[in-house]
Amino acid sequence: MAAMAIRTEGLTKRYGDVAALDHLDLEVAPGEVVGYLGPNGAGKTTTIRLLLGLISPTEGRGEIFGLDCQRQPVEAHRRLAFVAGEANLWPSLTGAETLRLLGRVQGHVDEAYRDELVTRFDLDPAKKVRAYSKGNRQKVILIAALMTRADLLVLDEPTSGLDPLMEQAFRGSVREARDLGQTVFLSSHILSEVEALCDRVGILRQGKLVELGTLAEMRHLAALTVEATFAGAIPDLSAVPGVSSVQADGRVVRCQVRGPVAPLLKVLAGADVTELLSREPSLEELFLAQYGGGA
Amino acid sequence: MITWLTARRAVRSGVIFGYIFGVSIASSAISYSRFYKTAAQRDALAAAYGSDKATSALFGPAPQLQTVAGFTVFKISMTLILVGAVWGLLTSTRLLRGEEDDGRWELLLAGQTTRRGAVVQALGGLGAGVVTLWALTGLITALTGLDSSVGIAAWPALYFALAMAATAVMFLAVGALTSQLAGTRRQAAAYAAWVLGVSYAVRLVADAGLGLHGLIWASPLGWVEELRPLTAPAPLALIPIAVFTAVLLAATVHLAGTRDVGAGIVPDRVSSRPHPQLLGGPTALAVRLVRPAVTSWWVAIAVSGLLFGLIARSAGGTISGSSVQVLSRLGSRGNDTDAVLGVCFLVLAVLVAFAGAGQITAARSEESAGRLDQLLTRPVSRSRWLGGRLLVTIGVLLASGVMAGVFAWAGAASQHAGVSLPTLAGAGVNLVPPAITIAGIGVLTLGVWPRGTSIVLYALLAWSLLVVVIGGIGATSRWVLDTSVFHQMASAPAVPPHWEADGVMAAIGVVSALIGGIAFQRRDLRGA
Repeated sequence: MAAMAIRTEGLTKRYGDVAALDHLDLEVAPGEVVGYLGPNGAGKTTTIRLLLGLISPTEGRGEIFGLDCQRQPVEAHRRLAFVAGEANLWPSLTGAETLRLLGRVQGHVDEAYRDELVTRFDLDPAKKVRAYSKGNRQKVILIAALMTRADLLVLDEPTSGLDPLMEQAFRGSVREARDLGQTVFLSSHILSEVEALCDRVGILRQGKLVELGTLAEMRHLAALTVEATFAGAIPDLSAVPGVSSVQADGRVVRCQVRGPVAPLLKVLAGADVTELLSREPSLEELFLAQYGGGA
Repeated sequence: MITWLTARRAVRSGVIFGYIFGVSIASSAISYSRFYKTAAQRDALAAAYGSDKATSALFGPAPQLQTVAGFTVFKISMTLILVGAVWGLLTSTRLLRGEEDDGRWELLLAGQTTRRGAVVQALGGLGAGVVTLWALTGLITALTGLDSSVGIAAWPALYFALAMAATAVMFLAVGALTSQLAGTRRQAAAYAAWVLGVSYAVRLVADAGLGLHGLIWASPLGWVEELRPLTAPAPLALIPIAVFTAVLLAATVHLAGTRDVGAGIVPDRVSSRPHPQLLGGPTALAVRLVRPAVTSWWVAIAVSGLLFGLIARSAGGTISGSSVQVLSRLGSRGNDTDAVLGVCFLVLAVLVAFAGAGQITAARSEESAGRLDQLLTRPVSRSRWLGGRLLVTIGVLLASGVMAGVFAWAGAASQHAGVSLPTLAGAGVNLVPPAITIAGIGVLTLGVWPRGTSIVLYALLAWSLLVVVIGGIGATSRWVLDTSVFHQMASAPAVPPHWEADGVMAAIGVVSALIGGIAFQRRDLRGA
């Protein structure tokens, strides 16, 4: 059986009494695109720094393609490419020099793809890093990661500072990577990005993984939004099992349904409904639901 | 707010340098009063140095060498003038252009101030730093003057301190102006250092006895020399100093309002053709990154070595009696060129050690700035990265030592001083082990207390220097002397290098570095 691209067992990092990451058990299969969500301080970057061997766990362990993150970091890093949210680079080097350096250090580069990425991301490689904007520095480390065609892309807030056009270019590049069978582990605050790209999503809360699954699986756990327009009398929906948050606006009633929708449909069938709309929760609603913000 | 933020950092630095200035002046005054007790000894010293053109060119004129005050001014003032200038330009470029480079200046400008207003406030903070430097230097000098054998009154002591702080003020202003002209901190410091280099060169020519003394008024360092503290005070020389400073500060404030934040008046070269050399891996990158700083150190070591070689013969010919005792306490033997070079090589040892310490702090800044993540998240082990940096450090140190010896030989040979190249090259290599010890302890600190790396390194350097200087005047116990790496170093070429002691120092450095490397391997990476 092929090793998991990422596997953690009880991975924990404590700073004094504070658990930045608390017993994380996570598996990411080769070829998967997994989103990793959580507000600031939830433990996303801590997870990634542990997987990269930049910090040591207090308990537990992590593996990249079966290689121990702490004991075999160099071997593990041969299989992955990392993009940090903060592009800290050498100010005196140009973009081209930086890409050359990082490519040589990584050991393998698809040069044709690198040149294509430079064009796609509209990067001027002759400029010195100190003259780049934050977005352009971010492009450099994105290209440096993507050009390696690594088996695993570990992306920590990779699009911070990118404009919407470049964000689209990034999404296209991740889809290409997925099509080539590369694994992507994407930590992001941009929920639409995760929703558009990821097969599975994990949600962290105060260092604990509180949800992990496909969007479809997670939607089953959250409420369905139903909007009904009535021609005649409006029935009382608040007593229907599973229905909550009933709001009336003239002849339009909105509510949310958890669990089976059959009881609600039974009530609506007896009323004079002219229009019925239902919508699955967005990732944003799922995310906010985890943090008590609605849905 | 900006004034307070800048003042807090400038005053902290002013305290350290005020202490160094004060202790240096005190040690110089006390050593003279102890070792040149009789009028005959003092007359002999004045006869030897008072008319020597080489020493006059290097250290300034030497009037009244028969007095403690005159000797102190001669021995220490040019060094402090130069250190003060370097402190001034580095402090202002760090707290003005450096803040802008790091993006903090924009945050401050987002408050209720203008670009000009912010610079005026920051200059106020820098002023607090230089006042601290002056006050502490003056206080220690005045306290030293209370000693009956020294006998320097309070007002002359404060005036002397003012003269020493004057270059700091002028080069704070130079650094402030270059911070407006240049697009980066490094560039701003380089422009200011260029001004300092030219000032020193002009003053050197003026004092070289070539009949061009009038040139002294063309150099800011010359104006400070013309203040003539403790010997023949001439406060009128404060006028060009004040005018120069005021003009530069006015230009600084004006230019701050005319340029964009983050940009310099002189256009920065933002693009260049790729230079693919030294991009093959972490060690090659380390060489590429440290190249500009190391080149500066090598120029400083080569020029110093050459100058020391040039003056060694004439200075060596004057040594007798009590001078022998002073040199002996500094570890030097004999009464000739070798003895003088033995002491001069102590200064070179300090420069070499600073060059080594700079390598370790540069390695730490790669980690604190987050750039190390870019390498360690690729197939590069921590030991490979750190080992490469150490290899570069040792290479830099060895080259520095050899260069010091070779250039000192070139200077001495031009004066037919009769010292051989192998002897001085050996003396140069002898400078390396203390620097390896300091660098090794720096790596140990990097491993166990990364945020304290700079503090420990420079404190160790300052302590070692202070102990050896105080040891030179015979005021320190053996146990304390042993804590100085420079004291452990033989004063070659005055005496043959103690290769065994050098081996022990190098071993201490290597073992410290190994322990530091193991700790670095095991700890979390840490930002600033």
